[in-house]
Amino acid sequence: MTLRVLTVDDSRTILAMLHHTLSNAGFEVLQAEDGQQGLDVLKNESVDVVITDINMPVMDGIEFIKNVRATGQHNSLPILILTTETSQDKRDQGKAAGGTGWIVKPFDPEKLISVINRVVH
Amino acid sequence: MSDLDDFKATYFDECSELLTELEEQFAAIEEGERGSDRLNAVFRAIHSIKGGAGAFGFSALVGFAHAYETLLDYVRDGRVELTDEVAALCIRANDIVADYVKAAQLGEELPLDYGSEEKSRFDALARGDTSTSDDEDDLSGEIVEEFDLEFVPVMVSIGTDDASDDTFDAPPMEDVDGSWSIRFTPHRALYARANDPLLLFRELAALGEISVTAHLAEISQLADFDPFAVYCSWTITLSGPDVSEISIREVFEFVDGDCEIIISRGGAAPAAPVKAIVADEEEDADFASLLALTEEEMASKKAVVVPSAAKAEVPAAAEDAGLSFLDLAAEIKPAAPVVAARPVAPTAPKPPAAAAPTAANEQEESHRPSGVQSIRVDLDKVDRVVNMVGELVITQSMLTQQMDETLRARYTELVRGLEVLAQTTRGLQDSVMAIRAQPVKSVFSRMPRLVRELAIKTGKKIKLETIGENTEIDKTVIEQLSDPLTHMIRNSADHGIESPEKRLAVGKNEFGTVRLSAEQAGGNILIIVEDDGAGINRDRVLQLARDKGIVAPDFTPTDEQIDQLIFAPGFSTADAVSDISGRGVGMDVVLSNIKKIGGSVHVRSRTGKGTRMTLRLPLTLAVLDVMLVRLGGSPYVVPLSSIVETIQCSRASFDRVPSGGRVLQVRGEYVQVADLCQRFGLPSEVKPDDQFVVLCETEGSQKLALVVDDIIGQQQVVIKSLEENFERVEGIAGGTILGDGNVALIVDVQGLRTTQLHQNAA
Repeated sequence: MTLRVLTVDDSRTILAMLHHTLSNAGFEVLQAEDGQQGLDVLKNESVDVVITDINMPVMDGIEFIKNVRATGQHNSLPILILTTETSQDKRDQGKAAGGTGWIVKPFDPEKLISVINRVVH
Repeated sequence: MSDLDDFKATYFDECSELLTELEEQFAAIEEGERGSDRLNAVFRAIHSIKGGAGAFGFSALVGFAHAYETLLDYVRDGRVELTDEVAALCIRANDIVADYVKAAQLGEELPLDYGSEEKSRFDALARGDTSTSDDEDDLSGEIVEEFDLEFVPVMVSIGTDDASDDTFDAPPMEDVDGSWSIRFTPHRALYARANDPLLLFRELAALGEISVTAHLAEISQLADFDPFAVYCSWTITLSGPDVSEISIREVFEFVDGDCEIIISRGGAAPAAPVKAIVADEEEDADFASLLALTEEEMASKKAVVVPSAAKAEVPAAAEDAGLSFLDLAAEIKPAAPVVAARPVAPTAPKPPAAAAPTAANEQEESHRPSGVQSIRVDLDKVDRVVNMVGELVITQSMLTQQMDETLRARYTELVRGLEVLAQTTRGLQDSVMAIRAQPVKSVFSRMPRLVRELAIKTGKKIKLETIGENTEIDKTVIEQLSDPLTHMIRNSADHGIESPEKRLAVGKNEFGTVRLSAEQAGGNILIIVEDDGAGINRDRVLQLARDKGIVAPDFTPTDEQIDQLIFAPGFSTADAVSDISGRGVGMDVVLSNIKKIGGSVHVRSRTGKGTRMTLRLPLTLAVLDVMLVRLGGSPYVVPLSSIVETIQCSRASFDRVPSGGRVLQVRGEYVQVADLCQRFGLPSEVKPDDQFVVLCETEGSQKLALVVDDIIGQQQVVIKSLEENFERVEGIAGGTILGDGNVALIVDVQGLRTTQLHQNAA
């Protein structure tokens, strides 16, 4: 079955690259430009894994993850944090919010796929 | 690689938007709005530029953006105060970022130390404010070192290096045949973050051969069962030729801190005491019976569903039955959905769930633009639609033209259909044009800053007023507008506005005003740059024009003609070419740029009062209302927007002026005449008295009378560029394909007038 990935990022460039990499790898890709849009997508669609940026307008990635987990319906949904931050601090924040794992930008396509495979069945 | 090129194009597109956004934000910040919204937006813009730059390996850009971003981060959380000096530094930094982006786009390299001065200012500012705290060294270290780190597209494994160094003296690869023993005890947080032991085992299985033993001693009685608790831990024996401790640690990277992992060499002895490899009989039975419950029973018990935890426990139970992990992977699947599909039991603790959605709703209301949704479309695609709609408009008008009276009388239904078609086509055309339309704001927003800079450089006091920045124009027109506008505003500030002392001396406010406005006027957009400066010094302009041979010594132009002279090629009014408006470009370049997009420029100046430059631009570049005329047997078109009236030659009265040119007297006013057949070297097919005069108005209400053989009628045409398809032709603004397939050239009225003026003047 095709896995569905929701990518949340306010940078069109990153969204485009994610879309390219993921759809080439056979994933179905849904996209949102900020956390709020991401939540809206999750309301109506079921996805297998989420990849989210941290710095975004309207609702940032940390808030987004908190909100996703708060609904209680997505306890087992893996959420990967895509970030330029290499600092442990940001990672800890993401983790505390309920993030499953992280990917450091700029991402390497192979690594990205392997990270996704690491968190989804 | 074309994919990469596409991404790069997207990136640069995005960058230009972000840079415009930066301009806007800083304009507001300069106005005194220093709220966190502004700063966050600025931070995000730089962050996005950096993020993309990293992906393409524009390392210099990343380096600078990172330092800038760090400063912004400090400003954002209040560690550095946003003083005027810091704001000014940021504005300079924006320019440097823009330069880096441009260099990256053109594939050029900027000097290595480009922006290094600003960069060290960032560092100094950031350090200065935290100098009392003990992380001063960390900070500078972070700024410098992270640049290198940024480009390594690898997962940084946390906490692995230390552990490996401390725990193991021997290199991990030493004993290639040895197996590893991993004692893995998850904490409850591991499940809360949607990590799943099964997946970790799968990862380990990818490294080498594994066998998993579950420890179930912790499993409680069903009555005490806490769905969120963790009752299970495992010992994994992993063997393989290339297994290093680091690779094992990497598998557990995401769950670092959410579990206890003890890794040891030698598969035989797990590091932690094994309480019971086979669980207590009774507990085991309990668990098994729990697993055996039907859905209904579980629902009625309302207690026991933990999606990931339960999933994880399935292999544990089965493991006891002697199955190996790899077999299990297949068996677990059917069991998992039953458990996972179920919602969490209502009795389960759900702490912050209630508050969060409300907050989200509020945010939705306050932040979302009023329900306007948009998509991004490649401009090429829109262009294609615009072009096709243009062709449709023409075909439609051709059809209408071919309906003669007999046909009209016979096929009334057909006529009605054609009328509806005409209406719909027009509506379609308007809608398509609206897609390409965009507020001039994007160009206007760059100007306040330009004026500020000019004021500083010239020591003048200048205010900029902008009006009508929401006026919409075709995107292609907007893109072409930036340079001419910049140049015109430079002109106003450099030559127009006087120094504060001079202004005060002549009784003006010491602040000069440059007003930039946009408005729609019929099928055109007017963009006006107006200043209340000294006006054009006509004596000097004329003198200069005479010196340069642009105007013949015996010719005395009118004031308006003199004003227009600033557009003459090679003309510059500055006594010395200043670094502000000079730059080796004159107003002639402005004029030719504007003409390229089908517009015109008109200057009007009043001595001592100021100068007004008006750009008249077409709403769209694609479709033009024209009058079709005949010259020497071929069709030509004249833009309808410039036509005032048509006169039959027999009724017109021509005169000759001493220089030999013909003029036409229209209601007491003498108008220059351009005989198009003569001008284009075509043999006129009709007698002079049977010809027509098309009276056109050019810029500055200057009229020009075009003599043509015949007038065919009005219609709409789709403009095709002659320059792109052939080459630039003097007096011709472009070409078009008529409904009958013939090609017609579009007469460049303004261009004709200018050359006519020069011919007469020479």
